Amino acid sequence: MIKGKYVLSPWLFSVLLIFLGTVTVYAQSSSFKENIYPVEKLKHRDSVLTLKVGDSAPDFTLPAVEGGKITLSQYQEKKNVVISFVPAAWTPVCSGQWPGYNLAQDLFVKNDAILLGITVDNIPTLYSWTKQMCNPGEKLWFPVLSDFYPHGEVALKYGVLRSNGVSERALFVIDKKGTIRYIDVHDINQRPPLDALATALEKLNQ
Amino acid sequence: MMSRPHPDHRILKTHRGIVLFILILLFSFGCVSSETKSSSIISPTKPSPPPEGKTTLPVFEFPVPQNAGEKNYLGVSGSGNCKVTQINTPVLIIEVFNMYCPHCQRSAPFVNDLFQTIQGRTDLKQKIKIIGIGIGNSPYEVDLFKKKYGILFPLFPDQDGSISKMLGASSTPTFIGAKINSDGTTEQFYFTSGELTDAANFLSEILKLSGLKQEDKQ
Repeated sequence: MIKGKYVLSPWLFSVLLIFLGTVTVYAQSSSFKENIYPVEKLKHRDSVLTLKVGDSAPDFTLPAVEGGKITLSQYQEKKNVVISFVPAAWTPVCSGQWPGYNLAQDLFVKNDAILLGITVDNIPTLYSWTKQMCNPGEKLWFPVLSDFYPHGEVALKYGVLRSNGVSERALFVIDKKGTIRYIDVHDINQRPPLDALATALEKLNQ
Repeated sequence: MMSRPHPDHRILKTHRGIVLFILILLFSFGCVSSETKSSSIISPTKPSPPPEGKTTLPVFEFPVPQNAGEKNYLGVSGSGNCKVTQINTPVLIIEVFNMYCPHCQRSAPFVNDLFQTIQGRTDLKQKIKIIGIGIGNSPYEVDLFKKKYGILFPLFPDQDGSISKMLGASSTPTFIGAKINSDGTTEQFYFTSGELTDAANFLSEILKLSGLKQEDKQ
């Protein structure tokens, strides 16, 4: 009896390993688009903005996907800053917004601006999500920051934290002195057109 | 008279049954995964039929390009809007794209290859034309996409998505092939969504499905 069990086990193991291997290959080949979680139309806005153009941008420090931490004030006197809050990783509009900003790097460079992308997701989630936005071996040119813990603290500071714990789809343009020069808390269901951001950036130099 | 099976043999049979059951389960999973993969990651070299049985190209309008080179390429003149059927070509390829879409960004160099291949062949350059429709994109965004990838064929913004909706393109990039007959009638022969990764294969499919006659290759 015991002999029979020992004869079968390696065979069973081999078969299982081969087929589990096959299943893993299929799982790895699913593409970005198929992984996007479908979201129904949401309430356009679900927060109360506490800041206005002309205010000093609240400082913050958040962990970055690339490692380390980024503090807003480190750019003071050095770079203009665009903060792009997007509601959540792996959702439809958000997944298309940053690849567009990735393509539009020249627009930011031309206006001596850095872009900081922020969501309330954790670092591993943001790592996987942003990796899928680029060609293999490439990465987004701008830092992506996690406002995961304490949850949504920075979004709350900027008055763009929605009641369900995600942020609004919002853009803040901050000049080198740390003053907010442009705010667009956009309809969460729609992507803000790049034109308006380009105009806001160009005004920084006027 | 049949002899009673040895207890070890019964265990062997029981184990084989379990293994067979696991194999069936795993095979089933493998097949489901395979089907999902092939239906969701569509290669533009494997065309699917037009949506909802459409056999004609929906006639949409677009602004006449201001650029003389693009006007000449499409064979249109004047200003204002013109109909897609006014484009002077027996075969039209439409790419529905989005500047923000990573798949469209990755496809752009291959679509450029396709354009340059067609333009480099005297037997095809007057017979196949390409245009791009930027779904949900503003003119600024379309222009950025065009400059970033050095795209030489005309691109048109479709900011409200109305043209893309008419075409039945809900995901990007979508590639549509249509014949435009001299009497203004059309025949849509190709409709596929997915990244373009091989311009030569794509062109072969277009030639095969459109029935365009090839002369000496240049």
